[in-house]
Amino acid sequence: MKWFVLRRLLLMIPAALGVLTLVFFLVHLVPGDPVDLMLGESAGVADREALRHTLGLDQSLPRQYEHFLRDLLRGDLGESFFYREPVVRVIAERYPATVELAVLAMIVALLIALPVGIVAASRPYTLWDNGAVFFSLLGVSLPNFWLGPLLILVFALKLSWFPVSGREGFASVILPALTLGAGMAGILSRMIRGSLLEVMGEEYITAARSRGLSEAAVWLRHALKNALIPVVSLLGLQFGALLSGAIITETIFSWPGVGQLLLSAIASRDYPLLQGCILVIAFTYLGVGLLADLLYSWVDPRIHYGRAS
Amino acid sequence: MRKNHPERPRTLSHPLILGKAKFRKITEKLFLLFLALLVTEESCSSRNHLREGILVIGIEGNPTDLDPRTATDAYSNRIDSLIYNGLIRLGPQAEILPDLASGYEIKDPLTYIFHLRKGVRFHDGTVLSSRDVRYTFQSILDPRLGSTRAAAFAMVRTIETPDENTVVFRLKEPYAALLNALTTGVVPSPEGRKETSPPPGTGPFRLQGFRRGEKVTLEANPEYFEGPPALAGVVFRVIPNDITRVMEIEQGGVNLLYNAVPPDSLPLVEAEKRLTVIRAEGTGYSYLGLNLRDPILADPRVRKALALAIDRPAIIRDLLRGLARPASGVLAPSHWAYHGQVAQFEFDPARARRLLDEAGYPDPDGEGPKKRFVLSYKTSQDRLRIRIAQVIAQYLETVGIGVEIRSYEWGTFFADIRNGNFQLFSLTWVGVTEPDIYYYIFHSRSLPPDGANRGGYAHPGLDRLLEAGRRETDPGKRRAIYARVQELVAEDLPYISLWHNEEVVVLSREIQGFQVYPGGDLISLSRVRIGTSP
Repeated sequence: MKWFVLRRLLLMIPAALGVLTLVFFLVHLVPGDPVDLMLGESAGVADREALRHTLGLDQSLPRQYEHFLRDLLRGDLGESFFYREPVVRVIAERYPATVELAVLAMIVALLIALPVGIVAASRPYTLWDNGAVFFSLLGVSLPNFWLGPLLILVFALKLSWFPVSGREGFASVILPALTLGAGMAGILSRMIRGSLLEVMGEEYITAARSRGLSEAAVWLRHALKNALIPVVSLLGLQFGALLSGAIITETIFSWPGVGQLLLSAIASRDYPLLQGCILVIAFTYLGVGLLADLLYSWVDPRIHYGRAS
Repeated sequence: MRKNHPERPRTLSHPLILGKAKFRKITEKLFLLFLALLVTEESCSSRNHLREGILVIGIEGNPTDLDPRTATDAYSNRIDSLIYNGLIRLGPQAEILPDLASGYEIKDPLTYIFHLRKGVRFHDGTVLSSRDVRYTFQSILDPRLGSTRAAAFAMVRTIETPDENTVVFRLKEPYAALLNALTTGVVPSPEGRKETSPPPGTGPFRLQGFRRGEKVTLEANPEYFEGPPALAGVVFRVIPNDITRVMEIEQGGVNLLYNAVPPDSLPLVEAEKRLTVIRAEGTGYSYLGLNLRDPILADPRVRKALALAIDRPAIIRDLLRGLARPASGVLAPSHWAYHGQVAQFEFDPARARRLLDEAGYPDPDGEGPKKRFVLSYKTSQDRLRIRIAQVIAQYLETVGIGVEIRSYEWGTFFADIRNGNFQLFSLTWVGVTEPDIYYYIFHSRSLPPDGANRGGYAHPGLDRLLEAGRRETDPGKRRAIYARVQELVAEDLPYISLWHNEEVVVLSREIQGFQVYPGGDLISLSRVRIGTSP
């Protein structure tokens, strides 16, 4: 296990480096000059060149890349062109908000998907099951840019239960988490249902029942845990996507996360900030992938990660 | 054979797995925990804030840099108008008023002398002196700072401080627009002070907190030289989504929106009894930019035909919901240098067609699908701008001009415009307060990167007038020069004037004393009071 984790951690480095290299050259190829966007049109040629020099943009692209890598090795992601502050600090201010929203969205999704999936599987091909199918289709089909404002309209404007937007404590995270979690709940509940139905046909379930175990114990101890194995890998992928910034939801709810930061970095051609955001997103994806794999072995003890794996 | 589901449906008692009593117990606990969390929260509405004298303003974008010397975005500038003071400030008609300077004299066109108010203190408690003024503008001129304002002070040769309260600007050549540039906020010299970022100001509010991408919190400055503000504080909340902003002000989550309600949503907020809508003439100028290097657009008859083919009042009425007024030039009618007796181009498609025929572009098949010529029209990805482009294209099609609309992400669009890679584009100049803007956008020496003459316009007569306008310090003579400038530009049409966008402020009814200033200056908040709710 230790070797597996170590190897996966080491493998993250070339993967993240590959992503960064690609992003570095792509952003420099996109039209649009950060100096123009920073200074506007009123600045003279001398000021423009001075700023270009200060930002290191007067050097050749390979040279800039070399500097970028050298700084990266020292753990320095540079200074944001627009915020005029270290990229690490700017991202660190936003990352907790993204994590908070992603974790809560995941909890919301599980809180909805688990009972819905179990109900559907326990009463297959009944009205309950059809209702669950309808619910999951609804969850998957409703776009965030529609569901978000709708939730605000009902729960913030009409009922005044929650604030409309912003990040002012726990109440403010409920609606964005619901918006983000609803779609995921739809997918998860279908997966849980399918997986549970498959497991319920297994012989060990029949064996458990014949041992006289209560129905609750059969479902909880024997069926659900085994049914969760494929769900865990899906959770890993979904969670990675959530952490990498749910841009639309963040924008609707004025949630100050990494998604919005990334968007503004692209718009303003803030290369260091953009690269920093991508690096964080890449590591998040890889880290969550690793966590999902570890969870896998916890849920299914047959899976071992060793030197030979 | 493995079965996909059990043979007989297994009905579990509801709740599914746990016993009813246990389930209820857990549910009750969760519900209580949830309620406890909600109760400990601040109120959903900011009406409580308002009762405490704190005004919440919703802004569309993120202020990136609050240092007045380097701030580039409109949001930072708006916030800075409350934290910092310039030597002078602009009145509602963009007239020059004293601010940190109690008075000024123009000894000769090259020498400007400013006398500072006495006893003004920065937010850190230190007293303002002429050294701070000199430091502010010298640092702007230092290329290491990378200030966007450096060009406005390029004419400054020296800044002298003969005593604590006097500052003398000596110029390399006459530059009447200097006064307008001196609205830039003054920051303290770092000599003997602890440096902070952003630096302290002298304004009616001081910075209390800055959570990037989220909010900027200001508190009242009790030492403000014009007297402490009635408000206890101002909070700027970043709300990028149009719909969310409108719902926030409806709910009371924010108390003021400045030019931040989309035209389509205005009827909604106007119908809300708790809100007041202030509409005032704006300083924003929307126009259709033309590439005059293009052989088709180089012909003034074609440009006139374009101007005559567009029904601007109809666009203002139907697309902008009446939130603009047709423009005849860059300066708004309320501006001190505005001159309205210029060539006007009312909607007249028949005359447009005749002009195009005269210019040698006959319509090949009359009402048929063939076009006289096709122009590309570049715009940003803003939805309203795209809709405006579509409507303008429709008007141009009716006189036989084909239009291809191309919308780009802002950075790409701006790069194309600066590089002259366009035929038509539409943009807006915001906060137009100084008539010297004509030099910046139409003088033949202002080609990018030295200015914003993106269309490559050149008119020797206009160049001479613009140079004279820069040199002249007498307001009466300046007004006469710019009147002629406006006549020439309206006649020659290097731009096609579209409209002046109105300033639209939506605010809670309790807020009293708010006044609209050009360019979104929020200084009137220093005098605003919170009244009783209706």
